[in-house]
Amino acid sequence: MNRRLFLASSLFGACARDHRPRLNVYNWSTYIDPAMLARFERERGVRLRYGTYESNEEMLAKTMTGNSGWDVVFPTHSRLAPMARAGLIANLDHSRLPSLRNLHARFQRPAWDPNLHWGVPYMWNATGVAYIPFQDFAVEGWSYLWSDRLRGRLTMLDDPEDVIGACLQKLGYPFGSIDARQLAAARNEAVRQKPLLRAYLNAEVRDQLVSGDVLAAQLWSTTAAQAMRGNPNLAFVYPEEGYPLYCDCAVILRESGRYELAHDFLEFLLQPDVAAANARAAETATANGEARVTRDPVLYPPDDIYRRGVWPEALPSAAQRYRDRLWTEIKSA
Amino acid sequence: MKRKALGIYSAFVLAFLHAPLLILIVFSFNSSRFTVWEGFSFRWYRAAMNDPQLADGLMNSLIIAVVAALLSTLIGTLAAYGIWRQRSVILSGSLYLSLVTPEIVTGVSLLALFQWSFRFLHMRLGLHTVVISHIAFSIAYVAIVISARLRNYDRSLEEAAMDLGASEWHAFSRVTLPSLAPAIAAAGLLALVVSFDDYVITSLVAGVDSETLPMVIYAMARRGVSPVVNAVSALIVVAFGAIILLSQRLQEK
Amino acid sequence: MSLRSRFLLPARVWMALFFAAPMAIVLSYSFLTRGEYGGVEQPWTVENFIRLAEPIYLSILWRSIWIAGLSTALCALLGFPLALFISRSGRRRNLYLQLVLLPFWTSFLVRTYAWLFILRDTGLVNTVLMRLNIIATPMQLLYNDRAVLLGLVCNFLPFFVLPMYATLERLDPALLEAAADLGARPFATLRRVIIPVSAPGFVAGSVLVFIPCLGAYLTPDLLGGGKTVMLGNLVQNQFTTARDWPFGSAASLVLMLASALLLASLMRSRMARELT
Repeated sequence: MNRRLFLASSLFGACARDHRPRLNVYNWSTYIDPAMLARFERERGVRLRYGTYESNEEMLAKTMTGNSGWDVVFPTHSRLAPMARAGLIANLDHSRLPSLRNLHARFQRPAWDPNLHWGVPYMWNATGVAYIPFQDFAVEGWSYLWSDRLRGRLTMLDDPEDVIGACLQKLGYPFGSIDARQLAAARNEAVRQKPLLRAYLNAEVRDQLVSGDVLAAQLWSTTAAQAMRGNPNLAFVYPEEGYPLYCDCAVILRESGRYELAHDFLEFLLQPDVAAANARAAETATANGEARVTRDPVLYPPDDIYRRGVWPEALPSAAQRYRDRLWTEIKSA
Repeated sequence: MKRKALGIYSAFVLAFLHAPLLILIVFSFNSSRFTVWEGFSFRWYRAAMNDPQLADGLMNSLIIAVVAALLSTLIGTLAAYGIWRQRSVILSGSLYLSLVTPEIVTGVSLLALFQWSFRFLHMRLGLHTVVISHIAFSIAYVAIVISARLRNYDRSLEEAAMDLGASEWHAFSRVTLPSLAPAIAAAGLLALVVSFDDYVITSLVAGVDSETLPMVIYAMARRGVSPVVNAVSALIVVAFGAIILLSQRLQEK
Repeated sequence: MSLRSRFLLPARVWMALFFAAPMAIVLSYSFLTRGEYGGVEQPWTVENFIRLAEPIYLSILWRSIWIAGLSTALCALLGFPLALFISRSGRRRNLYLQLVLLPFWTSFLVRTYAWLFILRDTGLVNTVLMRLNIIATPMQLLYNDRAVLLGLVCNFLPFFVLPMYATLERLDPALLEAAADLGARPFATLRRVIIPVSAPGFVAGSVLVFIPCLGAYLTPDLLGGGKTVMLGNLVQNQFTTARDWPFGSAASLVLMLASALLLASLMRSRMARELT
């Protein structure tokens, strides 16, 4: 009986086909305001199909073979060059994107894509240290996370790039180092930290920061901002040793046959009010300079702090493999 | 005497299994989005009802689970019975191997298969690919449950029936099948639940229009974003609980 | 074609298409090299398998077997009496079965988060114990192997209960009465009557618990705090963050082989004992 239902519903679906043009958008979860999607559908008379993913790798696994069905995806900036080299990205037609000038000055000629050939910067965030302040102690950077007073009440992100990067920066080395000795030293730092470490947690640690279970965490600025709303006693610092910045960019896949519509969508996202609504819904920092949002210093660091940040790049294969090997060693130590 | 002890023990085990569920339900009424109690509120239920993604996901999950469970129970039961009557090392070997394969590997390998073959067939990922994948891994579960039941089953019953003039088919359908019925029901339930709850494989082989409930929930929960997830889970539990009680009443009549 | 062969046909076709073919793909992946941007590329190599023999990966294998074995034992301990109880519950059988499965209609991730809440420092257990003055400072219940075991057992218990129930359901109460009439004490009845009959259920249940536990990754990540690496984590990591599909394929083939061997030896020992 249910098989008939399945068949019937697919038949019905085929017959009751929407004759509006369609656009398939694949984005990070909770990264857009649904009202904006509805507005785009209304204004352009199209049907938007919106799907979400949790990691770049998940998205890449689907798009890599070139017939995933998606038109627009949002990779993190370091994935743009590899994707372009693999021939997955359709070059942007600037004549269709007059609102590119709305982008904040920092994102007009970004390091990973200076001519904005590949992707339109969308939202960005950074990794830093969220903590419960003690009166006698000033927290400056990564080194706080090796403090003995945090024994058992400290967490790091469950992400090799962030953890190894933080260790490297703590030791004064570059975040994207591919030097074997520097990486080995970073591994030793991480292993040294393990007895103090409660767990490797991502956004899940937010609730434990709010309740006070955890005293300090390596955390993304977006999650930290959320936690601070739940517990105003919390603080966030952008480490003085340096910290990574991440930007997710809207990209049109070459396999898509809907270039015009896709460009329309990207142009739509660049409108200040749309960008503001999306930033509010995603609770993160927008790359749009014209959008009117409260510039929370946790999400929008001032210029001098911003200058300390680095934009990680895609690493060569051998270095990537070595890092991954180190991550396994760190985790099993 | 022994039954009472058994009953109390079972009650404890069931309570242990249901503890997370109760917590879930309690916190679905929390007015704060963090797991610190702030006050009583229905806001997450309202949010859940108004979320079209959740409704779509639930519908997809149900369709997939029912279709996959039906087909895999059918195929798996037949396979288990066939293997019981006539050994097939290759088939039982591959069934066990499919059980043993990590989900991510099943997912990635099926994705590769689909992507490769779809280029020639001009098809895309969708509900059908999810159903196919779910059946692929559920067959082994069903087969194992039925095989376990069959090992205690007396072969001679069927042979006796055939001596008395029944055909092979009748010996199976009139003699063996009825006594397998509870095991088939149990296996079908297992297949249903396994399919409904699957995330890893589904997320890899799902297409543009085939987001399932676990995918939606994972997305929400992983971000630590909101107790809408709790509200949805509470609604599901209450709905299924009601269905169970109802079917029990009907059975007892 | 005889009836029996026809019964096997659908399963054979399905497995050939949707298991054997993908497995062939995975097998070929394990002999290839990591692609620059993920995926696989030439040259062909056995390097991935050689790499697996390093001590770090062997220790991961051993640890996974240990935790999976312990989880299976706990599931058997908890699940056997429960299955026995359900099989003897007459008309309420289906009700109890479905009660066992009820939590599983919610997402696994959400249930695990609920356990996080129960076991946290400021969670349910610690708060209650501190209020009752049983402990002074919170116990570290989370982010260790104990919590991982708890999560695994909680999640895989039905996988043991269902096949166990399917087997025990066949147990004739008359047999037990007969044993009692003949003067057997309850423990002897358990040993001589119930356990032999339930043996296939034990085996099936253990298989259905042990194997997924071996490949589990979400539970060790969430409840173990990501501080330990089990085989499941290793494989998961290779196919996602590390983007090293060949190594991940090789690791999972080893995982599958190890499980298959364990399975085979278990099957053979049980069957041998049953036939004699």
